[in-house]
Amino acid sequence: MISSTGMSAPLSPVLLLGLAVRPLPLAPLQPVLGAAMTAVTRRYPNIFERLSSLENTRFLIDPVDLPFGFLLVADDQAPQLRAVRAGQAGDVAATIRGPLMTLIDMLEGKIDGDAQFFSRALVVEGDTEAVVALRNAVDGSEIDLFRDFLDKLGVLAGPAMRVSGVLQKIYDTAMGDLDSLRRAALAPTERRHDMVATKIRRLEVKLDELSRGSRARRSQS
Amino acid sequence: MISETPETHKKLELVCPAGTPASLRAAIDNGADVVYLGFRDETNARNFPGLNFSREELAQGLDYAHQRGAEIYIAINTYPQAGNPDPWHAAIDDAATYGADAVILADMGLLDYAARKHPDLNRHLSVQASASNPQAINFYVETFGVRRVVLPRVLSVIEITALNKQISVQTEVFAFGGLCVMAEGRCALSSYVTGQSPNMNGVCSPAGHVHYEDQGDQLVSKLGTVTINAFAPEEKAGYPTLCKGRFKARGTVSYLFEEPTSLNVVAMLPELVNAGVTALKIEGRQRGRAYIAQVVSQFRKAVDAQADGTTLPDMNLTSITEGQQNTVGAYDKTWR
Repeated sequence: MISSTGMSAPLSPVLLLGLAVRPLPLAPLQPVLGAAMTAVTRRYPNIFERLSSLENTRFLIDPVDLPFGFLLVADDQAPQLRAVRAGQAGDVAATIRGPLMTLIDMLEGKIDGDAQFFSRALVVEGDTEAVVALRNAVDGSEIDLFRDFLDKLGVLAGPAMRVSGVLQKIYDTAMGDLDSLRRAALAPTERRHDMVATKIRRLEVKLDELSRGSRARRSQS
Repeated sequence: MISETPETHKKLELVCPAGTPASLRAAIDNGADVVYLGFRDETNARNFPGLNFSREELAQGLDYAHQRGAEIYIAINTYPQAGNPDPWHAAIDDAATYGADAVILADMGLLDYAARKHPDLNRHLSVQASASNPQAINFYVETFGVRRVVLPRVLSVIEITALNKQISVQTEVFAFGGLCVMAEGRCALSSYVTGQSPNMNGVCSPAGHVHYEDQGDQLVSKLGTVTINAFAPEEKAGYPTLCKGRFKARGTVSYLFEEPTSLNVVAMLPELVNAGVTALKIEGRQRGRAYIAQVVSQFRKAVDAQADGTTLPDMNLTSITEGQQNTVGAYDKTWR
């Protein structure tokens, strides 16, 4: 959402979708997010029990590949989740920033938050203690968004699962295509980069030789 | 005292971390022989927000583990505050009451308390006690009936071999995960800046004192008012502890204490078995269940392969390690 940071959005279907929905209002999202938060609270009460020490801490969850973010108010009685544009989140204790799919995988405990941080796929700012508490609470709750979604559908769960399989294939294909596109677009720049790097290495070797020669001459004189 | 003769294909016990019940299940489902964990307070050295177990969660975890043939050790490995031993005594009492398979202790007063009040409760000596020579270890064994010693990460495999021949107690060594600067139980770096330490409060560089600033061209980490590090956009990062900070000395910026890197001794399993080691410990109670599942499953395969005498599997855990690099640390003291 916020473009003034060192983290750039990956070229992905999420980024393209985000660009497509950028002009649309966020209001229709609010009931969906509200229902999702109610479902999470009911299904995973341990999350907010582990967060009880935070007392209404406000987090900005910032998917870098979407044109909006999510404001999470971690109130153990009435937690809230709202979609917000850049600059609309108000004062927040902490920001967690990364690609949407990374954030979802973390939410579901499929990937390790520390590892994402070490690899720089994830950036946190602000109250680190609150972020650590949120991470631990969420990771310990075994959230499975897809399973929860299927449970809501009842008898439609079977067809929904098949549709999901098709959508997953389309997503994977799109990711592959976009990766090819990215590599093709960057190829000239990477070639230039490699040439410059080689030239710098040669100059470094030459400089080292000159410097050793200079030291040897000084020691002889 | 001479320990039993090492058996080349003895199966090492795999002791794995858990910070939440979900992580406990992930560890056991992926092949942990033992899960170690702590209560939600400063009686253990991973006293992080949102982490650790309530008594009720411990009871459920014990059921889950015992039904699957696994064991639970409780880390009560910080040093009690003067005049306030009650939380530590309560932790030991509850570990015994709920049926934990062992407690991991560092403080002599707590070892004495556990030995007198719960003689049937297995007592392991924590790495925080930093017992690294036969005299110290034998003292703990003879005085407090310690069954196992977790060795500090300062010994080479050759030194562990020699040590095991002079003690009559099981040894457990760290096999994977974060590294300290080899001063377990004695490090004052975190206290120096934050007033809180792993030894007394269970937290090293507590998150409440850590701040990150994304400055666009670099990510700056600070502990209190001390700048710990500044990472370029593509540079791999580490934990914001003083020991893994980059500082300027004599005009050069470098990692003065240690680089952010992770211990991984999987290639040394045969040597560790021959050295007489009983158990391998995976570090990382603060890590997510994805990390625990991945590391435990890989080490399960490696330990089984070692015991079967087959080729150790290739393991690629670099992507989940601190600084995205591995070391065998002091086990092979290449700097000597």
